[in-house]
Amino acid sequence: MSLCRSKYGIDAKALKQALASAIGQFSQHVEVINEMNVFPVPDGDTGINMYHTLQRAYSEISDLDDSDLAELSQRFAYGALMGARGNSGTILSQLLKGFAEQLQTAEALDTREFTLACKRAVQSAYEAVTSPVEGTILTVAREATETLELRADDGVALSEALNILVRAAQASLRRTPELLPILKESGVVDSGALGLVSFLEGLASTDGKFDSPEKAGSPAAAGPDTPMDSSNDTSYGYDVQFLMLGKNLNIAQIRQDLEQVGWSLLVVGDDSTVKVHIHVDNPALPINYAVQSGATLDDVVIENMELQFRRRPPRGASSTAAQKHQTSDAYGVIAVAPGDGLRAIFEDLGCEAVIPGGQGRNPSVEDFLVSIDSINASSVFILPNNGNIIMTARQAAETAGEARVDVLPTTSVVEGISALIALRSFEDSGEDGGGDLDLAVGEMRAATRQVCSIEITRATRDSRLGGLEICCGDFLATGDGQILAAGPTTEAAVRDALAKVLKAEHELVTLYYGEGIQEREASKLIERLSFTYPELEFDLVFGGQDLYPYLIGLE
Amino acid sequence: MTFKRIQVAADSVCDLPAEIVRELDIRIIPTYVNIGHQSIPDDGAQLDRQAFYRQLPSMKAQPTTSAPSPGEAEVFYQNMLSDGAEKIVSIHVPDRLSGVLNTMRLGARAVGAERVALVDSLQLTFGIGFQVWVAAELAVKGASLNDILEAIERVRQHTEVYAIIDTMQYLQRSGRVSSLVAGIGTLLKIKPIVRVADGDISSLARSRTWSRAEAKLKALTQDQAPLDRLAILHIDNHLGAERFLDSIREIAPQETHIIEVCPTLGAHIGPGSIGVATLNQNWRN
Repeated sequence: MSLCRSKYGIDAKALKQALASAIGQFSQHVEVINEMNVFPVPDGDTGINMYHTLQRAYSEISDLDDSDLAELSQRFAYGALMGARGNSGTILSQLLKGFAEQLQTAEALDTREFTLACKRAVQSAYEAVTSPVEGTILTVAREATETLELRADDGVALSEALNILVRAAQASLRRTPELLPILKESGVVDSGALGLVSFLEGLASTDGKFDSPEKAGSPAAAGPDTPMDSSNDTSYGYDVQFLMLGKNLNIAQIRQDLEQVGWSLLVVGDDSTVKVHIHVDNPALPINYAVQSGATLDDVVIENMELQFRRRPPRGASSTAAQKHQTSDAYGVIAVAPGDGLRAIFEDLGCEAVIPGGQGRNPSVEDFLVSIDSINASSVFILPNNGNIIMTARQAAETAGEARVDVLPTTSVVEGISALIALRSFEDSGEDGGGDLDLAVGEMRAATRQVCSIEITRATRDSRLGGLEICCGDFLATGDGQILAAGPTTEAAVRDALAKVLKAEHELVTLYYGEGIQEREASKLIERLSFTYPELEFDLVFGGQDLYPYLIGLE
Repeated sequence: MTFKRIQVAADSVCDLPAEIVRELDIRIIPTYVNIGHQSIPDDGAQLDRQAFYRQLPSMKAQPTTSAPSPGEAEVFYQNMLSDGAEKIVSIHVPDRLSGVLNTMRLGARAVGAERVALVDSLQLTFGIGFQVWVAAELAVKGASLNDILEAIERVRQHTEVYAIIDTMQYLQRSGRVSSLVAGIGTLLKIKPIVRVADGDISSLARSRTWSRAEAKLKALTQDQAPLDRLAILHIDNHLGAERFLDSIREIAPQETHIIEVCPTLGAHIGPGSIGVATLNQNWRN
């Protein structure tokens, strides 16, 4: 029905109906997608994230009646961008953005346009991800589109083209475990990819009946919670700036290539002159890249940010309350945190806005934009505090109007708190007098690496992971994307994880106890732990987070 | 001593060691620590510092501190004048943080305000100590009042006092420097590295671990070299002070002292903390 209205293609009205029907069907499968997860922990939120993204997208077109394809697709993509949540939602929004871009010049959606739009969508999604991970929604979108290109020539009806796409996507989905070892180990497919397939199936289905992705249907995960940020710097690093002069310089390509070697990247200019500004651990990397590209280098400046920082004369008396106030007006901090206790901690440390959220509740791009707007600062630091929220935050950063927005890739509240304390410390030192935000970012990044995060949660099903037999209901300790320990009680999980992770240089263990844990119970645990580790200092704080009885920071 | 016409005086918060006080004939007026219903003068005799600090963590109510009475201040000055002093240079804990200068002013008025030059040190512990020490050295050599006051100003400009506050709990309870406390945050254990200057305490950095705090303190101290004099300060943490001194041995001048901070100050900061007071060589120029 929906997409096979005409042999030659469909108009805006038909597309709108098809989207409505597909989103309606998607809603029935949110739980199935949620439950699929590489980790047997209650963090399955891919389905709900993608659904929110689609719902918000549809809200932009729900009252559009007499629009053309260009307007419809553009508004839908805009809504998805604003509502994008989680990694999968963000990637979905990028797919829709590329798709809409292609339709800006199309009169009707026929097989040819559809294929081109799919290609553009894949390109847009890959561009948005700093380090694309194969075996995820990205792979499925790309492989399905490649098949579509091969098999759908202009003579194929749109409905058949869509069927080709769906079948290719289903096949690709089944292959995801081969590409991503963590999926294979868990015996699941990728849940973000499953979400995409479900959405495409909804579009293709003619009778509104949802055919589940056959047997692929064991669990799958929200993009493999792989941190999207690959930089692993150990210092403030170097600030490298140069001009590339040449012909036909490809800014997008340069940006994409340089993103692999550093952070705080800025690439601007035209096809004959490109200005590059990047922070790196190894300044040779961007320079080599530029030389090897064949461009002529000019105006090369390399500054050692660490020395720069150290050389500054000690100050302090100058940071009077009045000055501090002025500075804090110049920039603001937004953090994402679950639970009243954690919110209070971020606020106590002077955070201007705390967005409630975390695992299972990813804020949308729009949530970030509203916060950025509300704190009314010319520069903003965002602490996403969850690997699945970083991309959304970055999306918001790119969309935000005039404010400079730096997203610190914090993957836990423990890291976020460290970063925030480092920022406050930096202000105390008076070093921020010149408002050098790059130095502040360097301080915060360094601080996140000085703390180690352990999360205690409850397994939602039996599984075997990392050589551990895990029973449903067991308490699990995870850290840095790994399962560290599993045990029948929180204490057992905490103890095993500590034994595994503690190093000689660790001095302080902070326990943030969550919803459902009594303070008395937590203090007793601390008491017993300090008996085992008399040389360590312990700090017990109410976090109030759901899903995680304890969040632990080691430093 | 026969040429000396100017007498140097201070309160017990200056933390000068007894031998320097004796040798340079400095007069010290004790401040008080109030524990329960008892008010004990911090005169180095009646209050056992070590015992006090050991008991501090388990005391039900935080001890309070108080300035000497105006009457005591008057007697304090009167004694010096009776002993032959023409003028008194009296150096004290900052007006902003304590009532000591106020009482001393009342005492001075009673004996003739023109005979007592009151100095707000704008410093704490050995930061006051350096000013008192140099003033007394000059007084012994027969320097003029103006020369002494000028030297105090130069010493103040070349002094830095830094400390790691091991736990904010005592400052929180004491209610002093509430602006500092509010700024640091109260929900997490944070060890601020503070600076004393201009009669106030401000945070220079915040750390959650001791070793990072100590590294910061070390860097701050090293930035003050070359040093004329140095005091390593501690509260019931002599070992920590010694270890810290070892880590900066290469810049430690001959005049280096390890000082346990007086209970009047320590009661507000709590045991465990260490700090430094540095006097840069340039104060002489």
